[in-house]
Amino acid sequence: MVEKKTIQKAALYSILIFAIVAVFFYYAGGEQFKSRDVSTDDPVVATGGLPEITAGHIVKQPFTLDADNISQVKLTMATYDRVNTGVLIVSIRHGESILGSATVQLESIQDNTDLTVVFERPINITPGEELELCLESDGETGNAVTAYYGSEISLAKGSVEKPLSKEDLAQFDETPIDGILCFQVSGRESLVFGQFYWYGVAALFVLLVLYWLVVIKRLNRGKTSMSVLFIIAMKKYKFLIKQLVSRDFKAKYKRSVLGVMWSFLNPILMMTVQYIVFSTLFKSSIPNFSAYLFIGIVCFNFFSEATSMSLQSISGNAALITKVYIPKYIYPVSRVISSCINLLLSLIPLLGVLLITGNHISLRSLLTVFGLVCLVALALGIGMILASMMVFFRDTQFLWGVIITIWNFATPIFYPESIIPAQYMTVYKMNPLYHIVRFMRIVLMDGVSPDPKAYLFCILASFIPLALGILIFKKCQDRFALYV
Amino acid sequence: MMLDVKNVSIAFRLSADRVTSLKEYALRAVTGKLRYKEFLALKDISFSVKKGETFGIIGKNGAGKSTLLKVVSGILKPTTGSVCANGSIVPMLELGAGFDMDLTGRENIYLNGAILGYEEAFLNSKYDEIVDFSELGQFIDEPIRNYSSGMMARLAFSIAAVVQPDILIVDEILGVGDSDFQKKSKDRMLELMGGGTTVLFVSHSIEQIQEMCSRVLWIDHGKVVMLGGAEKVCTAYLSNQ
Repeated sequence: MVEKKTIQKAALYSILIFAIVAVFFYYAGGEQFKSRDVSTDDPVVATGGLPEITAGHIVKQPFTLDADNISQVKLTMATYDRVNTGVLIVSIRHGESILGSATVQLESIQDNTDLTVVFERPINITPGEELELCLESDGETGNAVTAYYGSEISLAKGSVEKPLSKEDLAQFDETPIDGILCFQVSGRESLVFGQFYWYGVAALFVLLVLYWLVVIKRLNRGKTSMSVLFIIAMKKYKFLIKQLVSRDFKAKYKRSVLGVMWSFLNPILMMTVQYIVFSTLFKSSIPNFSAYLFIGIVCFNFFSEATSMSLQSISGNAALITKVYIPKYIYPVSRVISSCINLLLSLIPLLGVLLITGNHISLRSLLTVFGLVCLVALALGIGMILASMMVFFRDTQFLWGVIITIWNFATPIFYPESIIPAQYMTVYKMNPLYHIVRFMRIVLMDGVSPDPKAYLFCILASFIPLALGILIFKKCQDRFALYV
Repeated sequence: MMLDVKNVSIAFRLSADRVTSLKEYALRAVTGKLRYKEFLALKDISFSVKKGETFGIIGKNGAGKSTLLKVVSGILKPTTGSVCANGSIVPMLELGAGFDMDLTGRENIYLNGAILGYEEAFLNSKYDEIVDFSELGQFIDEPIRNYSSGMMARLAFSIAAVVQPDILIVDEILGVGDSDFQKKSKDRMLELMGGGTTVLFVSHSIEQIQEMCSRVLWIDHGKVVMLGGAEKVCTAYLSNQ
């Protein structure tokens, strides 16, 4: 039976692909899967200085950190505008025991600036335990440094009082000071995800193999399953989708002089215009702004094009829908695939921009594929909802024109996300495109894998809309032929 | 049994009350004026067609023949009842569905063929036959917006006529193009219908129905009036007029 062979082949391929992807993710995820950076809150605004830290005195600053080790401490120091000699000992203590310390030469400390003390070897701690950051010195009066303290958090506009309890306050020789040190402790927290990665992979692998065994067994008894139907449909309609996509593509560039070149030119020109506007007129402060902008534009352009094309996919093919039977999902799917080709073409100039601006491209950059899959799933989901709505309410196309513009501004494409006030951040992060664009930027600009949470958000942000889209589309599709 | 139609009914919501904008919908939903008038285009139709049989459907204009064909070919889903077909169905209802004016004749053969459900290998093997039959010759690589309406009809017919379906649905035997091509296309269609495939045939020509069909269904106003041997039903139909 031909069908059975196809299913076996599909099962084998899916298991093989799963194994390759699992190994690749482990390699590409690297440190980011095993641990992540954590820090205490940003330092407070310096409002006062402690007395000179001389021999025999000790400054203690209580803190807690949800990390497994501490790697560095940042402090704001003062030298009284002179060169001091001697050493400063920075230590982390738990009760009476010293967990670790570092020694800094006083000559190397700059006046009124941040001092970063890196511990030779990360100090292991228990997450969340109450610790003390201690400062000691062998300096004498007139030849010593001191630390700044304060009690206010700086905001974009002015500053506010930081809520402090008595236990939080810094102490100078056991005497509480009216504030806390200007300090920030950083370390790394190991992630459960990394520890159990291979267990998870193994479990999924077993599930996948079991699933296919069940499917094949059911097939032998003459029963079909979802995946069997899906594979048969894919085989049957592959040719049709290919034809529809090639029609879209040919029709788009027919009778234009530059033809397919527009797929490259369009994003480049858009980026150039926006780059000039935002970097010269608005003085954007984002590092590597051209790459930042280009990634945003490529993602959003695809989303906008794919959804607008899918929107028309049912109502625009009315002549076909009322005359021949084709599964209705073919229409939005073929439109999204057409846009995908454009997306792939626009990745070429993106690669060029990344190379020119000095981002290093490595095997790890392949993680963008994950981001792209999420982006396509999101566009397809939204596209299916729009296509169904459009059949019943023609107003949808005009509404969508407005919504896509709002969406454009609600996504950090040409501005940094830091300009969004902290209290609106939760609402802001509801935007699925935010997570996908952020993912792409971390992979392509920082050259590292995002932490596991970012993957989860991307999956949620794309597959929930997709599931919703399929559900709505499925419910409406029988009535399309009557209303279109 | 090749085709089994069981208790099929189809209800349309009449266009008088069709709401096509969100504002109107909201307004009507709020004021409680969201009513629909239902119109039954087909009422409880059942019949079955055996393998290799040529089955005729007759009735006046607006009796529901085309709607019934659309239900059988899967374009419309019945409101109640079911249609069960064992095998591929090719409806010759509308020729040239999905033709794209900007594409060449060659590209349209593949596009239209794919829409009709042909496989790639099948189309490749039949490509020369299609071009020969359409008599388009060198024009096949021209965009079809430059074609005359006769050329377009010839191309459309040629693509549709290479089918080898399990069930063929025919809405009138079409003759397209000039008189020579009309004869050729009619002959081709009769050849297809006589070739042992199961055929569902709708026509206003009672002679053709009598000549080709073994059994005939007569519907009027969406209801079955009579179902039986061709001779009997056709005589009754003619005497009724």
